[in-house]
Amino acid sequence: MSPRPPAYNAVPTRTTLARPTPLPHAAVSPSAAKQKVDWPQPVRDYVGRAFDPKNAIEGISVTDMQAKLKDVLQYFAERSMLEQLAWETYPLPQHLLQAERRAMSTRPLIATGPDFAGHAQLPHAYSAGAFTNNSSSSAQSAKKRKSTDTVEDVQPTPAEQTIQPSRKTNGASIQDRITYVSGHNDKRHKKNASTSKSNQLDLEKEKRRQRFQTDKIMPSGSSSRNDSDSEMMPVGPVVGTNTDLEKSYFRLTAPPKPETVRPLYILEKTLGFLKDKWRKENNYNYICNQFKSLRQDLTVQHIKNAFTVRVYELHARIALEKGDLGEYNQCQTQLRALYMLKLSGGHPEEFLAYRILYFVYTCNKTDMNDLLAELTPADKAQPAVRHALDVRSALALGNYHKFFRLYLAAPNMGMYLMDMFIERERLHALANISKAYMSVTLRFLTDELGFDSDGDCVDFLASHGAQDLIEEKVNDRDEPQHRVRVKQGVGLFESLRATAFSKVDIKGQI
Amino acid sequence: MQAALEPFLTAHTNEDAWAVASLLSPIAPPSDPGRLYDFYRASNEHMIENDIRTALIYSRASRLEPSEGSAWSEIFVNYWKVVGQILRAEEATNQGRSRDRQWVDVFDAWKTLTNSLLKHLERGNIRSWTMICMYHAAKDLRKFAIKADEQLATAKGNVTFNSGFQDDVVTSIPRNEMLEEAARVLNRMFRMCLSDRNPDMRESRKWGTYFMASLLFKTYFKLKAISLSQSVVRSIEAMSDLPSFELYPKAHRVTYKYYVGVLAFLQEDYTKAEAYLTEAWEICYVGAKKNQQLILTYLIPCRLITKHAIPTPALLSPFPLLQSIFAPLVSCIKRGDLSGFDAALVAGENQFVKRRIYLTLERGRDIAQRNLLRKVFLAGGYEELKEGQTEADRIRKTRIPLANFGAALRMGMGMDGDGSGQALEDDEVECIVANMIYKVSAQRGAYKLSPFATLTHPPQSSQMSSVAVCLAQLRLP
Repeated sequence: MSPRPPAYNAVPTRTTLARPTPLPHAAVSPSAAKQKVDWPQPVRDYVGRAFDPKNAIEGISVTDMQAKLKDVLQYFAERSMLEQLAWETYPLPQHLLQAERRAMSTRPLIATGPDFAGHAQLPHAYSAGAFTNNSSSSAQSAKKRKSTDTVEDVQPTPAEQTIQPSRKTNGASIQDRITYVSGHNDKRHKKNASTSKSNQLDLEKEKRRQRFQTDKIMPSGSSSRNDSDSEMMPVGPVVGTNTDLEKSYFRLTAPPKPETVRPLYILEKTLGFLKDKWRKENNYNYICNQFKSLRQDLTVQHIKNAFTVRVYELHARIALEKGDLGEYNQCQTQLRALYMLKLSGGHPEEFLAYRILYFVYTCNKTDMNDLLAELTPADKAQPAVRHALDVRSALALGNYHKFFRLYLAAPNMGMYLMDMFIERERLHALANISKAYMSVTLRFLTDELGFDSDGDCVDFLASHGAQDLIEEKVNDRDEPQHRVRVKQGVGLFESLRATAFSKVDIKGQI
Repeated sequence: MQAALEPFLTAHTNEDAWAVASLLSPIAPPSDPGRLYDFYRASNEHMIENDIRTALIYSRASRLEPSEGSAWSEIFVNYWKVVGQILRAEEATNQGRSRDRQWVDVFDAWKTLTNSLLKHLERGNIRSWTMICMYHAAKDLRKFAIKADEQLATAKGNVTFNSGFQDDVVTSIPRNEMLEEAARVLNRMFRMCLSDRNPDMRESRKWGTYFMASLLFKTYFKLKAISLSQSVVRSIEAMSDLPSFELYPKAHRVTYKYYVGVLAFLQEDYTKAEAYLTEAWEICYVGAKKNQQLILTYLIPCRLITKHAIPTPALLSPFPLLQSIFAPLVSCIKRGDLSGFDAALVAGENQFVKRRIYLTLERGRDIAQRNLLRKVFLAGGYEELKEGQTEADRIRKTRIPLANFGAALRMGMGMDGDGSGQALEDDEVECIVANMIYKVSAQRGAYKLSPFATLTHPPQSSQMSSVAVCLAQLRLP
């Protein structure tokens, strides 16, 4: 075998992971080749055709061709697939070699490793089955790949390419290289090198597929395989090949195609990219959509690691900031399970605190009780959790003074969550105060109800139809002073309080 | 096999449901510990169907109707299979080699048995007095489901991750698949009982309604699917032609009342909860200490909220567990000892949370607080007598400096907070008193509120930041 270019070094490692096949070096080893096999007639014909001088291709020596032929036969013999294969249409070894060499020189979009060129014809069920490998190991190796990856990231590394589980265009691309001049490949290569859009890729592939529907050399089994593709591989994780940083979210209704899924190292870039974009543009609709597709890509590839946690945490925080409780809740649920895996990193205590605050918001006593039952002393020692528990108990005891102090001192993004019920609690406190006091100073209300300024307090009162209760008076020391005649608002505040507590909008309950 | 089924035929002829049920039990009777084993060894996989049909249908000793006979045959064949599974599972457990799914297999087999009982009852192939057997089978179904879930949990861990193509990683967290499965079967039994249309009350399956409902509650509680219990209650309440509740066995009534009471308790409908739990308490068999204890666990916090009533030592004395968890709280409430109350609540937190009464008991702090403030009021003494007034006319001071309340509230807290880690600001004192006024006024029906119960803000003079709270009417519990 000719020495491999360094870019292909990764192939053997991935092979063992993806397919339980012996390395091709082993295949050509003499002991294996010596094995007595009863060759079926189509295979014999195939060999005959391979040696037929009129099929010879310039530049490919007979020795090379012979080695390749052995390789191919060995591969299928080991899997007892000699009978199933359509040898009449299977590309001859010299064609395979030619394709390989061209692939090395141009490194086209869907490069096929030399050892796999012949294997594209495998019945699909086989290759799909090979992908039911452990997800964590695939995630891990994906990660590893990132750290050792020296190739320009935008372009898929060969290792990436060889492991695509659904290589519908695989066989075709070989044919492509045989039938079409290399200039065509170069063009495609250029297109790929610049960050191409996924739909463009799809279009390209679709075109190519159509071309080969009419192609005479097209293996007969291929077209049917294309159709059955989607049903064949719903089990294992997908390994993505898409290299776009951005991708719009679509709800999946069928197993995703690898070419639309981004692998981990791209997703990591995406996260950085999205963070920047969020900081600069603050466009929630866009960012939410992007995060959903990011989460989807992680899911279909069964990636569950510290990075997954980071993605969910970030999305949860952004959703909180924008008050999107539905999305926040989804993330929270996922995070809860992810924390159970005890992955490294993440902020379980922060999100535990959020969960407590969330139950305070929904007034869900049953869930709150369940949550309290789960808390360990170690959890309770965490400042954020402590704070959330204090909030809960302050409200349970009606200690609004303490509650609003805690509101102003909320750690992390607790304040965003507390904003969800701050108005309700302000009304509650007001109803309370109106029962106990005749009139109070505006400043007292501002302080007690945790407003930033007197102005905010006035706005709040005005928005609830209580502006008439504010009056300007002169105090004992002859200073002008705003007072609120709360006593006169008893009925108003009481009814406001009642309505505020009657409607708790529960979205996507945890 | 003929010999093994002899007792069944006798019991069936005598309509002795309990005897029949014991013959379908997954546990051998103490008098005959080898019964399951012998029964299983009496036949084999190929012969069992014929063996049992011979014994039940074709035997001269059998007086079963043909349809009845074949129904019982099917049931006993299923029973024979489940016995095999049980023996295998027990053997494996004894030898310390448990596979992942032994108890799941037992559960599946038992489910088949239960379903065949259900099916034949539903079709009227077997007599309705055999519902007793269904009760027993249903109870055991639940037990096997729990056992199977335990085994699955140790084998698989707690989190199920998504393997399909959904948007997110996790599909569900802690699951009890087998118990959920069991709940569905139990629910079908319940529906069958509830919707029986047999006009002959002696043969009606409606008599099983409350038993099955209670078993369902028990299962749903374990599954933490409390809302599903509500729908059971609703469907019973919507059913107009159930026999009068008093005619049901006492055991069914107590359990049902208890669960509906607890459900109301969890919904924070304490009035309803109190009513149901009190009824359950009254008809509960006095010897059933454990059941009484369960009822009191919820009834006591309930009455704390509705009536501000605390249990007497005499009530608690027969129940050491209740005494240990409630007594400290009760004495603190009585004394108005806030820090003691907090400490007792923390000490019992695990127990309370487990029983879902923590959040309710927490509200008892209000009562402790009120008792404390009332003590301040009492300690305030009387207004000075004006001219011409006698001892009989004297009235208590109605204006109490806020600082007095503050001092009382700070007791046991440590002056500047290093005691329990929290300082009490003056504003907070005010807040607590305001809150007290609010809560008392909300219960105007029970307590008359003095018109003076008003705080002034800011205090007119710092020396006498006075507040008049009429706590006099608040009686100590």
